[in-house]
Amino acid sequence: MSYEKEIMNKVQNGESLPDKLDLPVLKYLWEASPLYFGKKENYHEFFKKISVLSSFSDNEIRIFTKFLHRREFIADEVIFNQGDSGYGFYFIFEGSVDIYANHLNSNIEEKGEFIIRLDRRQYFGEMGLLEDFNRRSATVVAHENTVLLGIFKPDLENMLEIYPVIGAKFLRETALIMANRMGQLTKEIMALKRKLKEVEQRI
Amino acid sequence: MHRHLKIKFILFFVFILSIIGFALLFPRLTMPFGFSYIVFLMTRPLTILLTTGPAKQRVFYFSFLILGISFALFPLFAAFYNIDTDFGRLTSQLPELEKKLQDKFFIFKVYVFERFGYRLNIEPVSFFIKKIESSGIFLLGMIPNFLSSFFEWLLLVPMFLYFFFFQSQKFGATFLSAIPNSIFEKAYVLFSQFNTKFGEYIIAKFIEATILGTFVTIGLLFLDYPYPFVLGFIAGITNILPYIGPLIGLIPALGVGLMSNDPNISLLGMSMVFLIANLVDMVLVFPLLVSKVVNLNPMIVVMSVIVGGQLGGVVGMIFIIPFIAFFKLLFQEIYKDLSVQI
Repeated sequence: MSYEKEIMNKVQNGESLPDKLDLPVLKYLWEASPLYFGKKENYHEFFKKISVLSSFSDNEIRIFTKFLHRREFIADEVIFNQGDSGYGFYFIFEGSVDIYANHLNSNIEEKGEFIIRLDRRQYFGEMGLLEDFNRRSATVVAHENTVLLGIFKPDLENMLEIYPVIGAKFLRETALIMANRMGQLTKEIMALKRKLKEVEQRI
Repeated sequence: MHRHLKIKFILFFVFILSIIGFALLFPRLTMPFGFSYIVFLMTRPLTILLTTGPAKQRVFYFSFLILGISFALFPLFAAFYNIDTDFGRLTSQLPELEKKLQDKFFIFKVYVFERFGYRLNIEPVSFFIKKIESSGIFLLGMIPNFLSSFFEWLLLVPMFLYFFFFQSQKFGATFLSAIPNSIFEKAYVLFSQFNTKFGEYIIAKFIEATILGTFVTIGLLFLDYPYPFVLGFIAGITNILPYIGPLIGLIPALGVGLMSNDPNISLLGMSMVFLIANLVDMVLVFPLLVSKVVNLNPMIVVMSVIVGGQLGGVVGMIFIIPFIAFFKLLFQEIYKDLSVQI
């Protein structure tokens, strides 16, 4: 259990807190305050709440954030288009993004059909990090003013070279995301097949 | 595109063009900066080994490095001492060599006159000697300039190296944040690939030159050929130039052999040493070290070296290769994008 959780539990259960305030507690209280302006830049807190990096220790998150790029997008700005070469994986730090996809034979210039809106702490583009010649499978547009934290192929290579353990851990987590998405896709295909069979039987 | 995105795009390109313009206008700053960058790239793998990983591992690598340097210092000093001695002997023997060459050319003139009845009225030896003397005077005139540049470099290179080792990450992050979003991914990946290729190419060429130079020196020492250290050193240095370098490296060795009176000198043996050294380089060292890095057609390499020489002399000949490799990557990316759009 983290120190912060321990303190929170003690507060919730009405238990007494440690007698003297040491630095970590002071820092935690300071950062937990709604008037704390540095909160916006607090990548550490942000990543601690992302399930993908749940296995990362505090120090590993600190190192991981060194490899990230902060990119700011205004509302309606295209983050990438369907068919573009993909090299990076993005976390939504602030704002939200809309995902659109075209059918295979439709005009590439069109934005396509709206698929889903992703909000803060969600992520997209993980295929771009793993595949050799990745093509983006959808168009992503900033729904409002949005801040993304991106990690790109060269960063992953650097991370694997300098901090191999953290690099391997991150790769494992990315592979898990892909596996989950594949699982979901398989389920959807199965459901579609079932529906198709039902329609065929009715006809 | 939004208006302020357009402005950001234009500002970024104006900034890039200003940097290029500044670099071209002030070569006295650009050259030591470029040199420091090359040193930074060359030492980067070593820096990573020494600064990351568990403390025990770092101590082990550091001790290994100190041990390696201590062992390498003695032969290095010996080699440099021998190169210096060889150079001294070579310059002291120059007047004697000039006389020998004049005599040989006189015999050749007499032979041509007796055989064909044609009188040769040219004096190539005197011409070349005068040329060498005038370039010597020219070089003497350049010494003050050279010294001032040397002291400038002595001040600037450590400063730039400090920048690359300790500040470049922060500076790089600020620079990257200025790249417009629409081109960021591609620009960042291409820039990183260029950096990697350039660093790997420089390290590969350095190792290749060292292997070839050592091979030629050992071969010439076995043959008891004069000036083995200086000839090996020249062969190593000239080998940095792709394809043309080995031929240039052979010329001084051939000159020394032709001008020598020693009957034991074997020109054939020396040529064999150079041939074997270059074969080992072509068959083993180049494919294993350099070829993998640049991945270019030999024909393109030769043409690039010629173009590089025309554009930027010897420096252009060396550095054109990684640039061509980078442009190949760039065009491949553009082509991939176009093929998707079609």
